[in-house]
Amino acid sequence: MSLYQNYYAQPSYGSQTYTQPPPVANGYHHPLTPPQAAYSVDPATFRRDFSARLSQLTVNSRPIIQGLSMYAHDYVRFAEIVAQCLEAHIRAVPPWVKLPSFYLLDMISKNIFEPYARLFSTFVIPLFLETYQQVDEATRSKMVELVLTWRTGSPTGKELFGVPAQVQIERSIWGETSSSSASSHPSSGFIAKAQVLSELEFTLGQKERAVQANPSDATSQNHVHVLQQLRRLIEAGVSQDELKQILSQLRTLMRSNPPSTASQPPQVSNTPVPSQWPSQPYTAPQSYPQTPSYPYAAYPSSKTENTVSSSSASVPPPSVATVPAGGFADLLSSLVKSGVLSNTGTPLGAGATAKEDTLHSINEEQEASRTYRSFVLRHPIQLSTAGITRGRPPIAETLYDHLTSQCKQCGIRFSDSVTGKKVMEEHLDMHFKQNMKANLNVGRGHSRSWYTGIDDWVHDTVDRKGKGRADGSRPLSGKAAAAADAAKRDAELRAQFVVVPPGDEAKPISCPICKETLKSEFLEDDEEWVWRNAVKKDERIYHATCRAEALTNTLASRLLNTGRSRSVTPETQVLPSKKASPSPESLVGVKRKAEDIDSTLSQLEGTPPSKKLAIAS
Amino acid sequence: MFESETATPRQWVLELESEYRFEVEAGSSCAITLVKGRAEVFGAELVEGKPYVFGSECKAAIFTWLGCTIEMTLRKLHGSPVPEGEPEGSTEPPRVLILGPENSGKTTVCKILVNYAVRSGQGWAPMLVNVDPSEGGWAVPGALSAAAISGPIATCSTANPLGSAATSAPTTLASNALLPFAYWYGHDDTKKNSLLMDRLIRNLGMHIDDRLGNDPEGRTAGVIVDTPSSFASGPGATTEHRQKLIKACIDAFQINVILVVGHEKLNVEMQRAYGSRLTVVKIPKSGGVVELDRSYRERVHNYQVHNYFYGEVIAPPPGVKSATQGGETLTDLNLAPSSTAVNFSDLKIYRIGAETMAPSSALPIGAARVVSEMQPVAVDPSQPGSGLLNAILAILAPFHTDERERYDEEILDLNVIGFVVVTNLDIAHKKMTILSPTQGSLVGRTALIGSLEWQE
Ligand SMILES: [Zn+2]
Ligand SMILES: [Zn+2]
Repeated sequence: MSLYQNYYAQPSYGSQTYTQPPPVANGYHHPLTPPQAAYSVDPATFRRDFSARLSQLTVNSRPIIQGLSMYAHDYVRFAEIVAQCLEAHIRAVPPWVKLPSFYLLDMISKNIFEPYARLFSTFVIPLFLETYQQVDEATRSKMVELVLTWRTGSPTGKELFGVPAQVQIERSIWGETSSSSASSHPSSGFIAKAQVLSELEFTLGQKERAVQANPSDATSQNHVHVLQQLRRLIEAGVSQDELKQILSQLRTLMRSNPPSTASQPPQVSNTPVPSQWPSQPYTAPQSYPQTPSYPYAAYPSSKTENTVSSSSASVPPPSVATVPAGGFADLLSSLVKSGVLSNTGTPLGAGATAKEDTLHSINEEQEASRTYRSFVLRHPIQLSTAGITRGRPPIAETLYDHLTSQCKQCGIRFSDSVTGKKVMEEHLDMHFKQNMKANLNVGRGHSRSWYTGIDDWVHDTVDRKGKGRADGSRPLSGKAAAAADAAKRDAELRAQFVVVPPGDEAKPISCPICKETLKSEFLEDDEEWVWRNAVKKDERIYHATCRAEALTNTLASRLLNTGRSRSVTPETQVLPSKKASPSPESLVGVKRKAEDIDSTLSQLEGTPPSKKLAIAS
Repeated sequence: MFESETATPRQWVLELESEYRFEVEAGSSCAITLVKGRAEVFGAELVEGKPYVFGSECKAAIFTWLGCTIEMTLRKLHGSPVPEGEPEGSTEPPRVLILGPENSGKTTVCKILVNYAVRSGQGWAPMLVNVDPSEGGWAVPGALSAAAISGPIATCSTANPLGSAATSAPTTLASNALLPFAYWYGHDDTKKNSLLMDRLIRNLGMHIDDRLGNDPEGRTAGVIVDTPSSFASGPGATTEHRQKLIKACIDAFQINVILVVGHEKLNVEMQRAYGSRLTVVKIPKSGGVVELDRSYRERVHNYQVHNYFYGEVIAPPPGVKSATQGGETLTDLNLAPSSTAVNFSDLKIYRIGAETMAPSSALPIGAARVVSEMQPVAVDPSQPGSGLLNAILAILAPFHTDERERYDEEILDLNVIGFVVVTNLDIAHKKMTILSPTQGSLVGRTALIGSLEWQE
């Protein structure tokens, strides 16, 4: 579920659990109707209201933070005012109440992302570092934890406030020469032991909470065990080389298990899903937190971690692609072999556990469909004119009693089984995200997508229960192989870049073909800004993909009658497995458009397109 | 036939297994709320307490298995139970061909079957095939198409009777983000070029077979085929034509059940022809089906093409708050097509068959006056009478990438990736204005014209 649950749902010390609803200061309630339909507020009124509510944020209260985050979400059109108020508030309050405001900043950035993360990034670095200097050790470690979550905090699992901001903050914390986060491969600089320990603590914390949430999660248990040994090892002293290796593996582990912020269930939702809003047990710090304790403690954590780990096993985020799967396990086993670690906890490959989980759920599903089949077959109906008009099958029973939970938004029903509940959870999640997207995108302009091409359509056989298609198990047909080739070429095109001339970083440059702005990116290793997916031709900079496609198309029209085969066509540029691609056969330029939509989508959702499709049913 | 727009809501109690039929007048909308109990519209379940809006001259019915109370602003036509039932193949998944005369409710039967299959909770996504070019399925009229349906299809408008092809709008229903596979036939009358119909049906069947071969679960869910009414009856002279097309469907989609909706003569005919090798079942014609006239059909075509480019948001009746469009939140569902000027030479446009061609200049040099039904004839936009102005064009998938796989009639087998309309022709400057569903250049594309036009 949310990062907050995973990350902060740890036992609080020195606090007490209340079961009544949170005593939210001025009784802010989640609006159940879309805000734009409600009433209009002028900027001055909004500024006054928001500041007033913000001033209540003097304690570490999840409901207050959530309420404010919700407010920011509803009034995204006043995002700049929100940013100004928040910055002013953090600067104004005494050091010991700054942390909750950072949690608010964090929640808004991760959950709403655009435009907030962008706006906050203009002041987050100095504000964070100033605060860091002012607070005590305990708060500092909380802030470090926060910064570590920012590494993968964007909806696409990238740096929440961008690479430069992340790099600068981390360097300030761990020193100039430290290895900053941006890649999962630490660069060649000196690596501070403190940094490795911080990151280890962070990862260890994640794993411990995973175990807490799901005591039978053997993989996480094992990770906890090994991480504890690693900690002792580092504390005892290891070489730079080993530190580097450990750090690299830690990051792989962290990234393979990114906090899936964007898959927030309707916590900050204005989706009317009343069943999702039970009164939460609420933990308030006993007194004014001189030493801010763990925030939002005892927020009921569910089998969330479970979901996260199993989905990360089956749908690894793109950032892991560069690291061999099982890298962590490999490192550990090599450590065990070399006698550095004891082998009391033999590392289990994450894959093995995932496989068992899958098998388990397959069995459950098979059982359920057997039950359904025998139920249906108990009522034989002759497939004939007389049979179907005479027969009185128990249709109502089939429709309602087997599927007892109904989505209150669209009417689709789900069974009460474990799988059914999971599917329904995903379904509600999907509504939440789409509502969010709808609110964010108002007036942006949507359009009908081009239809898929034959290859994509023939292979678009998503499993409707959300397992995803068994990729790789099916032999590639000739066409699919050609498509894979083309996809590889496409990836190569996308990997091309042009270095941004110094001083031009802020200059928007658009592709002459699709007219869209080229996206710049900071290359950590080379320490320079580049335009990705770009080629330079006659002093103009194009999208590499656009240009290749344009060349192909002109060539194609020339060759149409002369009879030579084309090397690259749009038809084969997308892997058949990329199901959500709206238009594999899209036209010049449209392709990019389509992918932008795709990436906006996954930015908002934090899930790969295939998963989205799978849960869309 | 309705009270005015400002009609106050009225409540009705529906007995178990009864239904409530209603129509929406042109230019108006209505909202129906399930107050209590359980109810559905053509198999798609309603949520209690939400006003469902209906528009674009929608004709639909609220059905309840167990009884319910509904609130509406509509006049009741009449209510009577409609027998329903999903055919249950013994071991084979159902592959059902639905035949029936005009106004017999074939499409509704298809929709109910599909909706009940997806509501089984078994993860089924049956393949819904539309070979009725006057209907158009998820494309525009003139197309033949197929799509796997994984969530219930809502009914709220005539503009998208079978759900909607994917858009970038934030829709939530699976049936509003369909990925159809389409061919362009180009006419609404199946007799116009039945050779082409036959070929496209077989192509569609072949690709569905390819897909289901990859997907055992998809295969299990079955195939439902909606057909044009011309398959069911017609003047004696057309008997051979329709029998050939029915046969094409049975072969192409490996049909194992034929459902004949309310047509005894056709039932007998099908029993005689196919009764020995597959199941033929007659189901009664729904009592509530209303006769539709030609002008109504034309308006519906208009709604459908408009919906393809612009989407549809039904304005709820005054006073109705937070309504839903078939389960979809009424948010930003409008679409923004793009209008661009292109050079004549940017797009290669063909017409299949010569029946409709007028100027002899359109003929290939040296060709006889009569061109075969299947011959692609290039259309020259600079010739007066090209028929391009306001024409709906189908943009085709690219030709085969491998030259060795290319062949003469390949253009007939290319699927459609989308539709555009020629909104202006500037012969002097050799340019035309094209309304396209989304942005992007059409340079180098191949398009087909048919006999269908559209004007905003
Ligand atoms: Zn729903
Ligand atoms: Zn471009």
